[in-house]
Amino acid sequence: MIPENLFYTKDHEWAQINGDTATIGITDYAQHSLGEITFVELPALKKKLNVHDVAAVVESSKAASDVYSPLAGEVSQVNDELSSQPELINQDCFKAGWLCKLKVSNPDTKHLMTAAQYEEYLKSI
Amino acid sequence: MTDVKKTVLFEKHAALAGKAQIVPFAGWMMPLWYKSISEEHKAVRTTAGLFDCTHMAVLKIAGKDAMNFLNALITNDVSRLKPGKAQYGYVLDTAGNIIDDVIVYCIADDNFMLVANASNEQKVKDWIVKNQAGQVEVSDLKDASLPDGRVDIALQGPASAQCVKNIFGVDVSGLKSLSFTYGKTKDLDLIISSTGYTGSKISFELFVHPAKASLLWDTILEAGKNLGIIPCGLGSRDSLRIEAGLPLYGHELDGDFNISPFQAGYGWAVKLQKDNFIGKDAIAKKTDYDTEVARLKFDGGKGIRPIRQLDGILDDDGICIGQVLSCAAAGDKQIALALIKKEFNSPGNSVGIYYLARNAGHIQQGRKEKVALGEKLTTDIKGLVIERFEKF
Repeated sequence: MIPENLFYTKDHEWAQINGDTATIGITDYAQHSLGEITFVELPALKKKLNVHDVAAVVESSKAASDVYSPLAGEVSQVNDELSSQPELINQDCFKAGWLCKLKVSNPDTKHLMTAAQYEEYLKSI
Repeated sequence: MTDVKKTVLFEKHAALAGKAQIVPFAGWMMPLWYKSISEEHKAVRTTAGLFDCTHMAVLKIAGKDAMNFLNALITNDVSRLKPGKAQYGYVLDTAGNIIDDVIVYCIADDNFMLVANASNEQKVKDWIVKNQAGQVEVSDLKDASLPDGRVDIALQGPASAQCVKNIFGVDVSGLKSLSFTYGKTKDLDLIISSTGYTGSKISFELFVHPAKASLLWDTILEAGKNLGIIPCGLGSRDSLRIEAGLPLYGHELDGDFNISPFQAGYGWAVKLQKDNFIGKDAIAKKTDYDTEVARLKFDGGKGIRPIRQLDGILDDDGICIGQVLSCAAAGDKQIALALIKKEFNSPGNSVGIYYLARNAGHIQQGRKEKVALGEKLTTDIKGLVIERFEKF
């Protein structure tokens, strides 16, 4: 289940671009690999992120995994629900389990994969 | 890298667990979990769980001199074993370092079964060959071509005795820990041993011919359905053994801190009064030590950063008194096994955790990548020392 309208990275992050705002999260493959997520560290508001900077840390009992920003921009909103309900990422990683929103400085998505490309990529790993 | 092997139950895992959940472990493709670690952990504490342990080393040591050979190889007193009994002990090198922790099963006075960690299988086999003496035959019971071949499948938890009874008609509810008996059906013939690695009072390891492992696996899951028995992966195997305080080679035994059996709480399995065993003189010098393995309890669950290996253990003044060896979630708690200065290892003592940096961002914020005893640090979360072991 890979939503059509999102962009993807090889590290299994997704980005949804809406005007100059990008919503960021991790994919179904990523949440499955981590198992039950019990802790999420979100970025500070207004933090400036470059492409591939650590945007968040997602931890399960088995592993701590850095989440890299798919795009450059400034953090405009974080999903506070996750501090008390980190399992939202397991339950609904593409919607309720979003991590943060960026005010994008460069909307270029050439370095990201489309849903079709990501699906192919998943088959190759 | 050598090829990663598939256990005789691999097809079962592939059918039951997602691709990403089957990972290389000690040279074998093993399931981390089927549904979730917490569900599988809970099943073992409330009903029972079935574990693929067929990757573990199972060796036959037989012959006229088998007992004497094993008694020289292992720290515990193998001469006290009677048929139907098993014993925990250590194989040491001449410097007294642990090669592996093992269980020896006495099948008959001249026939023993030795179960060792998969990760140490080659080391143990090489050491046995190097030290083999007298009339002793050694064979690898995982070899399916042997008529008496055996692999290990563990059935652990309160419902496991009922399940064994339903299938084999054997009442094992009164079987003492470290004892074993036999179970037989038309198609299955196994050793049923009251041993395990989960801390369950009612727990069994079933040793079956490799060619029959799949049949046994299916038979138990079918018969266990109405008892709530589910298959369990390595994740819950680890969280259960940590919750119970049981050591894992490389973490609470030997490993980076070169932890001795005495520090781990298993001095009783090293019989220094025995005439001789390999490594005796060297290990006799290790009975004095400053740090030991402790079991600690912290809040866990949602929104609390999981404690990880090498995180610092602090006293009430924030002074580092040890480091985490293993940690796991158990319900809404986290149970850690840590190597701490022994004067702090009393149940009820309060301790703190210092989280090490998890990534570059944390390091930039000034968080340390490693800590040392005596360092002054700030406490991230507080917890308590609890009893070294617990049975469930």
